[in-house]
Amino acid sequence: MAKKGKKEVPAMSTSSLPDIVFMLLFFFMAATTMREVDPEVSVALPEAHEVTQLDKKDLVNIWVGMPLNAKEGEDALKIQLNDKTGEVNMVQEFVKEAAATKQVDDLKTLTINLRVDKEATVGLLTDVKQELRKADALTISYAARTKDNQ
Amino acid sequence: MAKKKRKAGEINSSSMADIAFLLLIFFLVTTTMDVDTGIKRVLPPWVNAEQQKQDAEVNERNVLKINVSRGGNIMVGTDEYKAHDLERHGDHSHLSREVLDFLVNVDRSSKEAKEINGGMYDISQGVVSLQADDETKYAIYLQVQDELVHAFNIYRDLIAQQVYQKSFSELSDNEHNIIADAVRYSISEAEPKESKK
Repeated sequence: MAKKGKKEVPAMSTSSLPDIVFMLLFFFMAATTMREVDPEVSVALPEAHEVTQLDKKDLVNIWVGMPLNAKEGEDALKIQLNDKTGEVNMVQEFVKEAAATKQVDDLKTLTINLRVDKEATVGLLTDVKQELRKADALTISYAARTKDNQ
Repeated sequence: MAKKKRKAGEINSSSMADIAFLLLIFFLVTTTMDVDTGIKRVLPPWVNAEQQKQDAEVNERNVLKINVSRGGNIMVGTDEYKAHDLERHGDHSHLSREVLDFLVNVDRSSKEAKEINGGMYDISQGVVSLQADDETKYAIYLQVQDELVHAFNIYRDLIAQQVYQKSFSELSDNEHNIIADAVRYSISEAEPKESKK
């Protein structure tokens, strides 16, 4: 009893593919946030045990690290405020502007998130902190990744 | 001349998947997933140099001075610690144990009775003063900060055990705030060395 001819496998229905992809899309849209600024300085964050989660909406970032487009032989640390590198004496004004754009009257509700490269030296960071004190922006955080306990 | 009614053809939806994929990939590229984490700290307000000197003189006894040198050596009071003393063995590193001892030990920092939840409890008035050389590597500086916070967290844990017979992490939000308010992170920093250059 030989079988009559080979039956063809019907083509897989792809009509639900858009639904699946849209579901993935919505998941990623909900779970992620937009990258706001492109980095101008390279920052590899250090690790620490006692980190807390920071609320993104009242966070103001200041980066400290080596400039990405450093010229040959240039090895000075730079700070980045928003999307461009700046000098220490611009920090005060930057913080006030950030408070204005976030529409907070009190700088105490802002957290200045210091994203400092782990290979950087502390000197420039100390200067930045002094400027922050002068600007009365006293709540800061040292950005760090979570270190696994052993 | 009556028009013949024609059935509208269905829209071909086979490219829908391509469009959705395109959007998906766009969002994957432009967004970040990571949450911001960090060690929170409150800086002391800006004061003029004269007032600073006065403040410093008042509570000299309750201050534990920590100095991080450019080579990564850590001076705690008069004792010298090396970078490997920052590593955890079990719950503690050598540095956090030393700081905790400073907070707990009555001989090293004076205690003040504070009212917490109806009872009186002795809370240390100790302040840790952290100073770092300009050339200190940030990784070490942050590790020191981390151990200091760790010591204070364990001290909070001790107080929480006394008050509520629970560890700090098990407290309710309200109890958490009460303890956090009573035991502050008394870590003073940001005061650069005066003998610069």
